[in-house]
Amino acid sequence: MDDLYLILATLAFLGGFILAAVSLRSESPRKQGLNIPIAIVGLIFQSLFLQLRGEMHGRCPITNGAEVLVFVSWSIVIMYLALGKAFRLSLLGVFSMPMVFVFQVIAITYLFAADPGPRRPVTLDPWLELHAAMSLLAYGAFGLAGVAGVMYFFQDRQLKSHHPGRLFYSMPPIRYLVDALVRLLVIGTLLLSVGIVASFFMRTIPARSHLLISGAVWLAYLTLILVHLIKRIPPKPLCFSAIIAFAFALLTLSAL
Amino acid sequence: MPIFCLGVNHKTAPIEIRERLAFAEKAVPRHLAEICGIDEISEAVVLSTCNRVEIYGGAENPAAALDKLAKYLVGHFAVESGEVEFYRHEAAAAANHLFEVASGLDSMVLGETEIFGQVKKAYATAKTAGTTARRMNKLFQQSFSVGKLVRSSTRIQQGSTSIGSAAVDLAEKIFGQLGGCRVMIIGAGEMSRTTAQSLLSRGAKSIIVSNRSFDKAEELAAELKGRAVRFDDWESCLDEVDIIISSTSAPHAVVRHEMIHRVMAERRGHSLFLIDIAVPRDIENEVNRIDNVYLYNIDQLQQIASEGKARREKQIAVCREVISAFLREKGIEALAGLPEGRHGDETARIQPDTAARPLTNP
Repeated sequence: MDDLYLILATLAFLGGFILAAVSLRSESPRKQGLNIPIAIVGLIFQSLFLQLRGEMHGRCPITNGAEVLVFVSWSIVIMYLALGKAFRLSLLGVFSMPMVFVFQVIAITYLFAADPGPRRPVTLDPWLELHAAMSLLAYGAFGLAGVAGVMYFFQDRQLKSHHPGRLFYSMPPIRYLVDALVRLLVIGTLLLSVGIVASFFMRTIPARSHLLISGAVWLAYLTLILVHLIKRIPPKPLCFSAIIAFAFALLTLSAL
Repeated sequence: MPIFCLGVNHKTAPIEIRERLAFAEKAVPRHLAEICGIDEISEAVVLSTCNRVEIYGGAENPAAALDKLAKYLVGHFAVESGEVEFYRHEAAAAANHLFEVASGLDSMVLGETEIFGQVKKAYATAKTAGTTARRMNKLFQQSFSVGKLVRSSTRIQQGSTSIGSAAVDLAEKIFGQLGGCRVMIIGAGEMSRTTAQSLLSRGAKSIIVSNRSFDKAEELAAELKGRAVRFDDWESCLDEVDIIISSTSAPHAVVRHEMIHRVMAERRGHSLFLIDIAVPRDIENEVNRIDNVYLYNIDQLQQIASEGKARREKQIAVCREVISAFLREKGIEALAGLPEGRHGDETARIQPDTAARPLTNP
């Protein structure tokens, strides 16, 4: 049943992206209003999948790579639904849907190929659960920051080319994209900080590699924010850094 | 009781005729009362703007009412018989015409929103004057719904249609709301003034004007509520502004790559939008290669405006479909505010695209 929920969530995000792409190319912009309801439907199926996996493991469902990818995807959707409107970036959802779709396709493939099954802990450690949940929520914010960075490059290219296409008029201003990116980096870093602080209280001492990788990701983002606050990094290198930092964070997930 | 519309607009009458037919704002209530004094006419709304003079009303016998109304207009305004041809619409065609007007489809700038406010004002004036009843109330309220529906469900407002609006749209895609944006004009020409006014109308502030003739700079600065700087000093203001409009008559580049490159290093990532409307160009083309600098010349703005116009024209059919669907859904009986069945199906079957019928000269 959990697999079915994951497939339904994945199809919802694929459908949402296709519908948005068709709507952006069509003469009528009305279908764009469906982005949020579709994202909510996808989120519900993701949540059901994570709930079933959580019940199966008796803990936060991040016991294998597939679950971690679904959890990160869930965080991205949550962040978009919570902040997209506030940041006046409704298209952030459209741009993040392909990424969520790819993550979930990888997760489905992994689970179908070799689902490791239940991995119940001997004792439940709430600090460990808090550490994992906060860290992956932070990855959601970082993922969305990366998407904002991609959107910036897209819009910058359109402006520089002097031939803005139809999508140009539906895209947010580049200043808003940079502002949203910075806020998402701050939110992500704060969440990750909470996760790292929680790890100090965990009963089980994490592996040295885990500590080093988590610390490296946290330090990378913290440095990026501090340098930006002090020196104000120009938009292009800032967006590029956000994309590279998320790619780095994703790579480290496999090591964790 | 069918509704009707009689009028002229920018497509059917030159400005020389329209200006003579234009209703003075204060005189509209008096004219409305006089129009409603015509035997056949029981309700009336006058829509008088710079691009159109139209009278909407209700009458038992619209053909006779339209004839008398045309005579009234010729008699009361300085137009000669034979000098003007009014278009006439009845029933669904009249409703359809008003819906197209309220949606901006009949405007000189396709999809513009000002007309929506003007229709609202015309209706409010007639309502206050007591010359509207059930039919006009319903018709105009429906026109507001249609106007909003067309604008929200189509792309009729998308894209720029003039150099000024293209500049504003681009500025908004760079900076978002222009509330905090500072503008500098180099060369106090007419095009600079128009473009700056477009930016000001969207909230831009702190205009700096620089011109070889300082008097002219001061004059334009006073008009735009900005400040003038001497032509030798404009470079020192580069780090203060977000948008530069340049239109000098210099035969060589005035704004050079190294100037902007130097300034951008000090701007800490803040974008700069340069609008070069001079021929020969004032700003070196290489400036566009600098990060966070966006340079547009007059040809590029013109191209965007042309594409915007073409895009809006392509939307006309989509908008008309929305209006037709609305008319089909509501039906002329509902628009006339009459119970179903009265006036029979013949009226209801009138197609919304009924062609305009010019009035034989009275």
